[in-house]
Amino acid sequence: MSLEQFKNRNVGVQHYRMLDLSHTPQTGWGQFKQVVRRTLSLELFVGLKVTLREMTKALFFGKMHTTKYPFEKLPVGPRYRAIHEMKRLLESGHYRCIGCGLCEKICPADAIRIETAYGEDQRKQVQEYTINFGRCIFCGYCAEVCPELAIVHGGRYETASEQRASFSLFDDMLTPIDRLKEQKEFPGYGSVSPDADKRIHKTPLAY
Amino acid sequence: MMSNNITITIDGIACEAQEGEYILNVARANGIYIPAICYLTRCSPTLACRICLVEADGRRVYSCNARVKDGMNIVTQNEAILEERRAIMEVYDVNHPLQCGVCDQSGECELQNYTLELGIDSQHYAIPDTKRGTADWSSVLHYDAGLCIVCERCVTVCKDMIGDAALKTGPRGGDPLDKSYKATMPKDAYSMWNKLQKSVIVPSNGTEYTNCSDCGECTAVCPVGALTERDFVYQSNAWELRQIPATCAHCSSGCHIYYETKHTAIGNSKEKIYRVKNEWNYQSLCGAGRFGYDYENSSAVKDKTAFDRAVAALQKADTIRFSSMITNEEALMLQTLKETQGVRLVNPDARAFQSFLRAYAEASGQGIYPDDFKSIMRESDFVVTVGTKLRNDNPNVRYVFNNIQKMNKGAGIYFHPVGDALVPTFGKNVETFEHKPGEEELAMHLVLDLFADREALPDSVRKTIEAYHEPRTRTVTEKVMEEVTVTETDPETAEEKTVTKKVPKTVEKEVEYDHNGLVEALGGDAEHFDEIFGKMMNKKESFALILGEDLYFHPRADNLARLAALIEDVCAMKLAMVPPRSNALGVALICDLDAEATGYVVGYNAPGDFILSALGTGDLDMPALNQQEGTLTNMNKRVVPTNAALPYGGYELNDLMNSLGLGKTLTVDWTTSLPEDRGFVAIDFDALPNGYANDGQEHRGYLLDVPPAEKTATEIAPFDGDGVLEGQIAYRCNPQRQFSDFTDKAHQIFEPFALYASPEKAEELGKRVTVVFDRGSLELDVIVDERIRGDIVEIPDFQSNKNIYALFGDNRYATVTLRKGS
Amino acid sequence: MMEVTYLGVIIKAILILAIISAVAGFGTYIERKILAFMQRRLGPMHVGPYGLLQIAADGIKLFTKEDFIPQNANKLIFMIAPIITAATAFIALSAVPVFPDFTIFGIFVPSVASDINIGILFVLGMMAAGLYGPLLAGMSQANKWGLIGAARTAAQFVSYEVVTGLSLLAPIMMVGSLSLIDFNHYNETHAWMVFTQPLAFVLFLIAGFAETNRTPFDLLEHEAEVVAGYATEYSGMRWGMFFIGEYANMITIAVLASIVFLGGYTDLGFIPGWLAIILKIAFMFFLMLWVRASWPHVRPDQFMWLAWKVLMPLAVINVVITGIVIMV
Ligand code: SF4
Ligand code: SF4
Ligand code: SF4
Ligand code: SF4
Ligand code: SF4
Ligand code: FES
Repeated sequence: MSLEQFKNRNVGVQHYRMLDLSHTPQTGWGQFKQVVRRTLSLELFVGLKVTLREMTKALFFGKMHTTKYPFEKLPVGPRYRAIHEMKRLLESGHYRCIGCGLCEKICPADAIRIETAYGEDQRKQVQEYTINFGRCIFCGYCAEVCPELAIVHGGRYETASEQRASFSLFDDMLTPIDRLKEQKEFPGYGSVSPDADKRIHKTPLAY
Repeated sequence: MMSNNITITIDGIACEAQEGEYILNVARANGIYIPAICYLTRCSPTLACRICLVEADGRRVYSCNARVKDGMNIVTQNEAILEERRAIMEVYDVNHPLQCGVCDQSGECELQNYTLELGIDSQHYAIPDTKRGTADWSSVLHYDAGLCIVCERCVTVCKDMIGDAALKTGPRGGDPLDKSYKATMPKDAYSMWNKLQKSVIVPSNGTEYTNCSDCGECTAVCPVGALTERDFVYQSNAWELRQIPATCAHCSSGCHIYYETKHTAIGNSKEKIYRVKNEWNYQSLCGAGRFGYDYENSSAVKDKTAFDRAVAALQKADTIRFSSMITNEEALMLQTLKETQGVRLVNPDARAFQSFLRAYAEASGQGIYPDDFKSIMRESDFVVTVGTKLRNDNPNVRYVFNNIQKMNKGAGIYFHPVGDALVPTFGKNVETFEHKPGEEELAMHLVLDLFADREALPDSVRKTIEAYHEPRTRTVTEKVMEEVTVTETDPETAEEKTVTKKVPKTVEKEVEYDHNGLVEALGGDAEHFDEIFGKMMNKKESFALILGEDLYFHPRADNLARLAALIEDVCAMKLAMVPPRSNALGVALICDLDAEATGYVVGYNAPGDFILSALGTGDLDMPALNQQEGTLTNMNKRVVPTNAALPYGGYELNDLMNSLGLGKTLTVDWTTSLPEDRGFVAIDFDALPNGYANDGQEHRGYLLDVPPAEKTATEIAPFDGDGVLEGQIAYRCNPQRQFSDFTDKAHQIFEPFALYASPEKAEELGKRVTVVFDRGSLELDVIVDERIRGDIVEIPDFQSNKNIYALFGDNRYATVTLRKGS
Repeated sequence: MMEVTYLGVIIKAILILAIISAVAGFGTYIERKILAFMQRRLGPMHVGPYGLLQIAADGIKLFTKEDFIPQNANKLIFMIAPIITAATAFIALSAVPVFPDFTIFGIFVPSVASDINIGILFVLGMMAAGLYGPLLAGMSQANKWGLIGAARTAAQFVSYEVVTGLSLLAPIMMVGSLSLIDFNHYNETHAWMVFTQPLAFVLFLIAGFAETNRTPFDLLEHEAEVVAGYATEYSGMRWGMFFIGEYANMITIAVLASIVFLGGYTDLGFIPGWLAIILKIAFMFFLMLWVRASWPHVRPDQFMWLAWKVLMPLAVINVVITGIVIMV
């Protein structure tokens, strides 16, 4: 998209109702007439009617909007970008993160820090992984860049806590091992695109 | 080696070049890009990767290996070349683990880069993979054969630069290539693959461990993540590290390094050095430089009472004793203290060097030794060293010696009392003389004898030398062809006939030769030396003499300096000297040093009544050299800047100077005040460059410009043999990778403070010995150094509190008594 | 009619004070609930059943909040300004007959604490004096928003005082008395004034909204324009007093409207008088909330324009016509 197109792309213009400003009275007499006309056509009562209608709907037809928040919660959309979750491999239960540090690099808020080491199994081990939620802007880049689908955004949006550390340590974000079965694959931002298979060149295998 | 300027054309661009240069280097110097994996600038081409393929006058050549000719026309890229290069990269990617995500090289990996650059997005070749494991080759080397692309850079650098030749290619155990590929694949890619599929890298001594000098240069040159520093494995991604250009201060080589720093841990934002990197195409490091980086004084805080006591101590001081691990600026501050407060400045190694330099200056009229090690390495093809323990004193001098053998088809003579098994392996034209300590003058005479025009020598010297020569005879065995007549039976006809045949036969013959008594006196093979030397001199054009610390700490150092001046004068030899310690040259130029410490002594990184210490063990903390800015003077007579890699929380020497009313705002404000009459130039610290250009030009600081001196004392005293030591001798010499308390503090350097001896000697001595000197004694563990030959034992001096200088006095050698056990 | 005793008056006064205060507090609850329902929300729910004790919680909150007086404020005036508002509101109520006379423990309690014969004038006067509350508060607090609030107070109250007065003039002419009791009695024999004086009723309502500082005329403390107007620097119970005053005034206006235009506490068919007036007051109160939920604010200039160019002439015309009708 060129810049010109970008600027003139008229997002959703078709759904707007334009304000009709042609009849704004210019003279005092015109204004007076407008007041009289509006008064006599009882325009004001339309407003009263609307509020009364909404009240009856709410009181008598069960159309109350309120969600009693801490007691009731609305479902969170799968693409919602709240507190991160670290996933595990479904088969082995090992954490998926390989410690590549791409999320650390890409994070525009510099919120992620990761410590790795040479493990006893001769593999790269994630010693500690933290996200500073005082800095995170929930942009989702980390989830998008992660090559392992290891870090994703979860639905845990209540970020008030006595200690922000309680959100940010590796173990707190990791799927608890006993809840491995409930772990859901992340369908949102940064997940594998549906046509991923098509875009991969097959490599010959000599086996 | 003298060569002429020629002009060639690369991709239509006219380039100036020297006859005999490699195409690749010419291209690089002119900013033209040719991909190359296996070539290392100062080493011999291995032709392992073949990606540097270009077309020269229509013929395909490998640019790292083909030399330029006048008028050559080179095309670096066309469809055919690109196809070949792509095939090569595809082959490298066959079975290469997909583990960039965890790999330590990721982000600076040449395999990644070239794969991406050549747009390899699909693979056409396949072969079953072979299991290749990981191995820890030594305390610092970690090898992952799975990642290795067998470019052999590690093998090459270790052989051609370092000299250990500790690595070689070994069998991989992979399947042979499918024959059909031969017909269908680009030819270079095929042959590269053929070799790749057969090899991995293994230690060359046939064991699982390298037993080398642990310099880590192989890890630096490895283009992929196959060879890494053990401590760094999986510690940090390259892109997280901040690079700070600096200068290594462990020895007088003053190598250019980058400290790479990052926060210590998630919960600790303090900077920490994770590793040291170097510009390996232009500068090789030793193990101390690469692994001895964490010697900072981390706990220092501004302790006002200690500071006040330090100020009082400085006011009261009669003597300041200091080590050479100090910047030029600090040396100048100390000199200022001397000039204003009249303190004595004591630094034994710099003082010995200073008086040697002074004697040399008086004898030669030159302010300082005329040549530097870089030009020797580049140009010389015959190198002689006297009085320096090549393997221990200064790693880069050893690299120079080795590189000359390998790259310049050179020859070398190594004069040293302590036998060394490694030096002879540097090249086939290396001769070693294990002379007695004290015979260095004879060695110098031999140099004069071998390289000087006899007629140009002063009479006395000529007479001395001639006195050593006498004609003698020796028996030589020769092969001669002799005609013999034998009777044979023809197997077919059964006929007997007589035939005459020529049969070789060895005969012994007496021949007359010129017997060189100097060679004999120095422990050489006098009988055959003329032949050996004749071979060594074959096609040699540029000669160099390197002198070392043994000569500065020598009872007749002045005479040796005059001999050096004479050699320089009459021999057409380059001459360079190895400063004994880190910044000994800078200190020798800046400070007026005194011999003895008297009265109240303030020690700066040295023993004293009040100690200023960058080790954190003294009475007042000082910044270590990775925590401060300043300049150092290295052995190449270059004043090079170094930068602070780590924060420092305490007081600096400049703060003390300020309290005494002598200071400047910043330590680096002293840089412009360095004495110009000693060769320094008044350039602002911040204006000093610190890096290398694409053609290898060193842009670091500036070169010293030491003014000439007055020729006053040239008279050479005859050798009288008085200083020659006999009996059990100890040699003051540090193990490889250890130079000072600072290397000792670094966690990756473990060489202990002990007595080092040859295997035979160690066996004789047992586990622990008491070394009794004239002036005291010392109890030490005995450690075998497999490369030492002979009877002399080595005693280190890297721990300053052991006061080894006091035990040895003004000589690097001492006769001692060794008592077994405690 | 039984004799009016001091005790009776005192009982009446205490009742008014207690009930109106309670009702004013309760009014806040009602207001929040009604507004919530009209926006399909639940409103306060958690303190007590259906959030009924929210008023108590608010009271506790207001009482325990720090009493904050700005450094540069005129402290004395700053402190008494809210008292003026609350006091004038209640004093006005003393001349308003809220419900019929009754007897308790043999003590005759009159319908009005003080049946002064110029009742309606007194009420209007007292409400007009209430202007000093916001005016002094705004001017004393050394805050530009407060000052703007004070200026708006002066403009708004003075202007609409005129309209209130003129709109009530016609009914007064018809009743021929200034006593509110007489207004009530007038209703027993005549049709409700809302039918005979509809224009006066509309004008009175509009002016009543303006005088009680209710949406759409809450320009004194319009937070989108002047932060909180005259109340910007007030906190705690001092701030609370302005609102008690405001709610008391709302009740006063509701009572006035009920008595003058809607038949007062005369029995309405089978509905006894006391219930009738409560229903009427409740409706008027509800109307105010309803309007608040439905309509936006007006601009200050439009508002002044409305008062002087539309409402005042209409009121004068109404008076003139009423006069002519009475004369004829
Ligand atoms: S969501 Fe964005 S800001 Fe937050 S940690 Fe991830 S990359 Fe950083
Ligand atoms: S990008 Fe993913 S795999 Fe890499 S370090 Fe972050 S979470 Fe781990
Ligand atoms: S060596 Fe290079 S290509 Fe191979 S895994 Fe490591 S970074 Fe990736
Ligand atoms: S270890 Fe590294 S430098 Fe050595 S051959 Fe393998 S890839 Fe090349
Ligand atoms: S560490 Fe140095 S000496 Fe050892 S193998 Fe590597 S390059 Fe050779
Ligand atoms: S760089 Fe020339 S063959 Fe590898």
